[in-house]
Amino acid sequence: MSHIHLPDGVLPVWLWVSGFIIAILVGAILFRFVKKEDLARRLPLLGMMAAAMVLGASVEIVPIAYHVNLTVISGILLGPSLIFLATLVVNVILGLFGHGGITVIGLNTLVLSIEGILGYFLFRLFWSLLRRLTPAIFLATFLALFCSTLSMIGVVSLGTPHYEELIHQEGKGLFEFHFLKEKEDHQEDVAENKVNLKRFIAIVLPLGFIGWMMEGVITTLIARYIHRLRPDLLRLEG
Amino acid sequence: MIQLSYLDYLAVEGKSWLHHLSPKLKVIGMALVLLGIVTLRSLSGLFLLYAILLTLFFISRIPLRIFSLTLYPLIFAFLFIFISGFQILFIFLIFLKVLCGSTGVVLLLATTPYPSIFRVLGRVLPSIFVTALFLTYRSIFILLKVFEETQHALYLRGGFQWRHPWRSLNNISNAFGHLIIKGIDASERMYESMVLRGFKNKIHYRGE
Repeated sequence: MSHIHLPDGVLPVWLWVSGFIIAILVGAILFRFVKKEDLARRLPLLGMMAAAMVLGASVEIVPIAYHVNLTVISGILLGPSLIFLATLVVNVILGLFGHGGITVIGLNTLVLSIEGILGYFLFRLFWSLLRRLTPAIFLATFLALFCSTLSMIGVVSLGTPHYEELIHQEGKGLFEFHFLKEKEDHQEDVAENKVNLKRFIAIVLPLGFIGWMMEGVITTLIARYIHRLRPDLLRLEG
Repeated sequence: MIQLSYLDYLAVEGKSWLHHLSPKLKVIGMALVLLGIVTLRSLSGLFLLYAILLTLFFISRIPLRIFSLTLYPLIFAFLFIFISGFQILFIFLIFLKVLCGSTGVVLLLATTPYPSIFRVLGRVLPSIFVTALFLTYRSIFILLKVFEETQHALYLRGGFQWRHPWRSLNNISNAFGHLIIKGIDASERMYESMVLRGFKNKIHYRGE
């Protein structure tokens, strides 16, 4: 749900370029914590979890095209360093499908990896406090998704001056394109041409809440299934 | 996602001039389309770009059923209607940017096999990242096979029904859990077979 399904050319250039630069820096820092031999050995697992995330993104649960991210369960299984690379790979592949723009890959990676990394640490925290799998997984997923949705809203709101610039564009180019308007209406037009972020937030948060609950439940059920068959994967002891 | 194998088939078996064009030129072409999307702010410019991409789409003889893939991202563009306060020009601008981006990308995928795209990306990106991309691409097909087998089990257990939401969620979650466990087992076997074939952090392509 927090995946920024923004097309190319909507966010200002400085924002998505910064997204790429910050994503590269964060990736470089996180990879210092992974041994080279360990990375090579876990690459097939990373590929498989990234593939599961891509498949999850293509399975719609409700008609409004909501899909599970599976980022939190992947973060728990892969760890914080590898989940970052996995989300980058997922965003590149989804971008190649047109599921989100190519220029927003950096920003999407940062937002989605917040889910995976926070999910991992929150799960460890709640497990150590509660020692019960169901509430630990559900709370970790819910809170991780809440935080990543907030960061998605933050990213979208940073582009507000750019949207206003695009809205104010008169048709320029080969064909002139004007709406007929009187000068007296100019004041109203100026007010209407302001970007309405509050409306956007008012739509995203309630929809997001439904998504967080659903993904929380689905991730919990998946974790319980994995715990029944392969408890070693969740590394609950120690 | 089922379209992925069909896209892959089209990319490999296609015979149009665009299929025969060098992957490097096509990736550069896509980069120019992205540049156009980012820099163009007039409806006429974007419309012209979209018309060029549509023309390329049809002269490459790409089947019409793939065209629907280019329209899917429009679902998310609708959110921008609410941001803009229903400004018609802005909405058309956003829709055209979405359509140009998605058409360009689908055109690239339908005329260029994925490994060729990854080989071009490998010239500018770290090898570990390109290896991860390649392994993910391979894993998608493995998981799709597992998912097809799991679907039968899913339907036998009632599948997904609005009348039974809890059972449906349980079924989907068990299917994903099964997918993940089978995927992890497959990845362990994949690593062992790759090491036996001399894998050392990098995938080499034929012709290198």
